Amino acid sequence: MSPPLIQTIDLRKSYALGGSTVHALDGVTLNVEKGEFVSVIGSSGSGKSTLMNMIGGLDQPDSGTIMIDGEDVSTLKPNALAAFRSSKLGFVFQQFQLMPRRTALSNVSLPLQYRRPPLPDGESRARAALEAVGLGERRHHKPTELSGGQQQRVAIARALVGSPSLLLADEPTGALDSQTSKEIMELLVSLNRSEGLTIILITHDLEVAAYANRVITMSDGQIISDQRTEEKAA
Amino acid sequence: MGMRLILNAFSSLMERPLRTLLTMLGIIIGVAAVYTMLAIGEGTQKKILESLDGTQARAITVFPDWTRGRSSQQRPYRRLNESDLLEIRALPGVEAATGTLSQEYPVITDATDWASEIRGADQDHLFANDLELETGRGITQTDIDRKETVAVLGQTVVNNVFGGQYPVGAKIKIGNVPFEVIGTVAKAPESGWSNGRDRDNFVLVPRSTLRDRLVGGDYLVRNHVNQYRIIGEDQSVLDRIEEDLDVILRRSRGLSTADAPDFRVLNFSANRQQYAQTQRTLSILLATMGIVSLVVGGVGVMNIMLVSVTERTREIGLRMSLGARQSDILSQFLTEALVICILSGLVGLGLGYGVSSLDFGGDDIDMVFSPEIALIAFGSAVLVGVVFGFLPAQRASRLNPVEALRHE
Repeated sequence: MSPPLIQTIDLRKSYALGGSTVHALDGVTLNVEKGEFVSVIGSSGSGKSTLMNMIGGLDQPDSGTIMIDGEDVSTLKPNALAAFRSSKLGFVFQQFQLMPRRTALSNVSLPLQYRRPPLPDGESRARAALEAVGLGERRHHKPTELSGGQQQRVAIARALVGSPSLLLADEPTGALDSQTSKEIMELLVSLNRSEGLTIILITHDLEVAAYANRVITMSDGQIISDQRTEEKAA
Repeated sequence: MGMRLILNAFSSLMERPLRTLLTMLGIIIGVAAVYTMLAIGEGTQKKILESLDGTQARAITVFPDWTRGRSSQQRPYRRLNESDLLEIRALPGVEAATGTLSQEYPVITDATDWASEIRGADQDHLFANDLELETGRGITQTDIDRKETVAVLGQTVVNNVFGGQYPVGAKIKIGNVPFEVIGTVAKAPESGWSNGRDRDNFVLVPRSTLRDRLVGGDYLVRNHVNQYRIIGEDQSVLDRIEEDLDVILRRSRGLSTADAPDFRVLNFSANRQQYAQTQRTLSILLATMGIVSLVVGGVGVMNIMLVSVTERTREIGLRMSLGARQSDILSQFLTEALVICILSGLVGLGLGYGVSSLDFGGDDIDMVFSPEIALIAFGSAVLVGVVFGFLPAQRASRLNPVEALRHE
């Protein structure tokens, strides 16, 4: 069996907050295999966002190691981390984080600007990514001309354009109504199933979490449960 | 990548046109000031170098003191005379001494007439005024002795009266007196001291002829001339010549050493030094203004870039999460500051050139706009961009991506 895509060993991180010390992560050990769709749930302050930021190379642990795709992310230098994010990761945020004055296509192309070496056919990749999320026709629209759900699709296309091995989604449905949330989650599930894309999704919504085939619950910086749900009938 | 950086910077600046324009203003004014200042410095340098050519640098000019009034308590205004000139020419260290009588008359041919300065000259006139014969011959002592009606024309007269045709041998009338053209003078060298006068609009005739046939004598001074121009052998003898002049003129004019002189002696090298000093002061003043303006403009750029970094914190966080390196963010913001400064630099050069060609400074300010000067002024704008753009760009590049993404 190949090694897990993500392997964290005893991650610890604490912040000083108003005189007291907050343990955002208090010994998190976790393996995620390639192709898994993992939801991480927990109340705010449970450490789920910190965990995701560390896996995404945006934050560094006080101690412990994070191996991703055989690379120890916790020891990488800033430039190597940037290259790692550029080639291996796709981020999806609660607030979409689209550039308001750029078209959908231009937003989706943004990560390619930082890819070294540059990927060939940047434009056609961006088009393909937009088509994959069902927005091929809207590529020249600006974010303000799109609905919330469509904006989040653009953001997902942006995360996919560099063919990442891991998609990190931080409350991707947090700003959407329930019907749109359902559509976004179905899109993620289909990406996971058809492309074998590994997804880690942070949410506090149990209904959203249930789309994943593994649900991890965190509290006070620790994993308190790790459940694999029954494989849903394909 | 480089092209994309510049295009991105442009579109980001165009999103806030007014702000960009106001930020540019400080740099524009600074560059225009630096450019103008350098041009004035260069112009002064050129003028001084030019005036060192020829006889200008060793010339002394003498003329009656026009500022003395003819009140009843004072002697009437007395002209200079030719006999003193002979004595001056014999002084040690004097290479040439010329006395000139001049008045404006029309130069008339069958076809046309033209107002020109008619100079009663002698054989030293051409040399002492850095002029050269072009064709024919000049005025000689014999012409003066015989009061010949012969004329040597300046270029403007050749062009306007003879349409540029070869005039030697032609007959002209000056006033009512017929003259024969015996020569032409080559175009006067650029001296930078012309004060807008046409230096080629003159006719040389024998001094005696002009006085007797046209101007008429002076009731006090026989053989009067308007001014002397004395050329020393080199600059070091000028002071001594000036002292000797004083003695000769006082004696001739019946003044004791205690009396105030009723003539003025103008030493060109002293004049030039004073001129250079004035221009230098002006240059330093402008340089200070330019540099202060550039620095203030630079602070403006820095301020706006810091605001821009704060406003776009989330964008910076996003770009980092998408794989931007610190150096990518740094170059993004540095490019914006540079684009502001480069655009401003170009506009500033145009402004500096445009304003100075309006010529409100008159002829006292001489500017030379060379490519080197433009490059220096432009380069200083780029330097300001790098220096004042760096801190905000560095601040942007060092943002923590997690906090940046959460920024409201």
